[in-house]
Amino acid sequence: MTPKKILKYSYYPGCSLHASASEYDLSTRELFKALNIGLTEVPDWICCGATPAHNVDELLSLSLCAKNLELANKVDGDLAVACAACFSRLKFTQRTLEENDVKRTQVEKAINAPVKLDSHVKHLLEILARDLGLERLAAAVKKPLKGLKVACYYGCLLTRPPNVPNLDCVEAPTIMENVLHAVGAETVAWSHRMECCGANFTLSRPGVVIQLSNAILESAKAAGADCFMVACPLCHGNLDIRQKEIENVYNTSYGLPVFYMTQLVGMACGLTAEKLGLGALIVNPMPLLKEKQLL
Amino acid sequence: MLLSAETMDIDFVRKVEALSGTSVRRCFQCGKCSAGCPMATFMEHPPNRVVRLLQLGQWQRILAGRSIWYCASCETCSSRCPNKVHLASIMDALRKLSWDAEGPSKESYVQLANKLFLQNIRTYGRQYEMRLAAVFNVKSGQFLKDLMLGPKLITKGKLKMFHKKNKNMSEIEQIFSRIEEMRRNGEAP
Repeated sequence: MTPKKILKYSYYPGCSLHASASEYDLSTRELFKALNIGLTEVPDWICCGATPAHNVDELLSLSLCAKNLELANKVDGDLAVACAACFSRLKFTQRTLEENDVKRTQVEKAINAPVKLDSHVKHLLEILARDLGLERLAAAVKKPLKGLKVACYYGCLLTRPPNVPNLDCVEAPTIMENVLHAVGAETVAWSHRMECCGANFTLSRPGVVIQLSNAILESAKAAGADCFMVACPLCHGNLDIRQKEIENVYNTSYGLPVFYMTQLVGMACGLTAEKLGLGALIVNPMPLLKEKQLL
Repeated sequence: MLLSAETMDIDFVRKVEALSGTSVRRCFQCGKCSAGCPMATFMEHPPNRVVRLLQLGQWQRILAGRSIWYCASCETCSSRCPNKVHLASIMDALRKLSWDAEGPSKESYVQLANKLFLQNIRTYGRQYEMRLAAVFNVKSGQFLKDLMLGPKLITKGKLKMFHKKNKNMSEIEQIFSRIEEMRRNGEAP
């Protein structure tokens, strides 16, 4: 057994985790506490700008992310990020400012501070799979998720843009499956792991989301999945909150609960439904969890 | 529009290349971007045609349409291009040029959503999701959009009625105003 290193991180939850994805925030904090991993929220963090900022104003997008990296530097440890979009934008900013002196100068002027790029930005998945390690994760399991067949849904921004997040292979990642296998769950092979759910069109053009997310739900169901695991609040909102509506539009029934990664891993580590915020999920996961005797 | 010397604007291509940091002219039209694009079905010009139109200087046709606003920024095109054309960055550059010029695009809902999202950052520091959705409905005249979802989201604690502003609002405002000033002085695109 390798000697235990003490893990601690600064934490950037992102806007959704303080509102529509509060169960992702809650389950992250509870899971990290259970695993003895330190997590300190970055004080006064601001919105990363997400897709709307880089869509029309790259300098603003880079500046907002650089400001967050500066704020995160005031807290000890690498930066842990929960939301796939925030993660992708923060990593994209680091990469761009490393490579482009002109943009770096502009951003430094905008935030009125020197840009330091030596800190590591890590998604929660990386922390569990690599920093903690799959062996130690497996050792912390109290109740393996035996018999649960999960469709791992990566969505777009955990692995893209190419060569930016460097979380895993850009076309065929396995980090989610590896984490789930370590906690005793089964994963299904399916076609839509990395297809877009429609993301922020949920506000402007929900019809887009209905169509794209339907294809994802249909594909997971056909592959025999019991449920989804996601690591992005927008993927979650589109698959979970809009699932009933999609079922109505396509006159079908999926009934697939959508879990955040920290909820499934937390369940395996023996955390209660309350601590994992399972009650906040729109598609009720309780019948499935009872059937599989996981709660 | 016929292709002629008058309608070919190659200067625009250079502008897009400078903004996006990627080559428009390296594309040889294999079509892989459009094949993998989840949004191509919603666009009048799928991604490979956007690039082809650009190469031919026909940018007005792109900016007048809705293709660029129907790009989801999923980055699949950029991941798969055999010539390493970063198409998602080209889309960003096209949207910025259209946005700055308050261009003639037919797609107004996506632009409204973007505008409100950015205003939210300037006013609150973080996204105030409830307000974002409510103001979008009012300004787009779709008062009943997603209304049925509201009560459920509120009982589940997913929609917060109130939102506290960040403590560092003055620093955030300065980021926005410094960028505006840099642009006035021609120091930033």
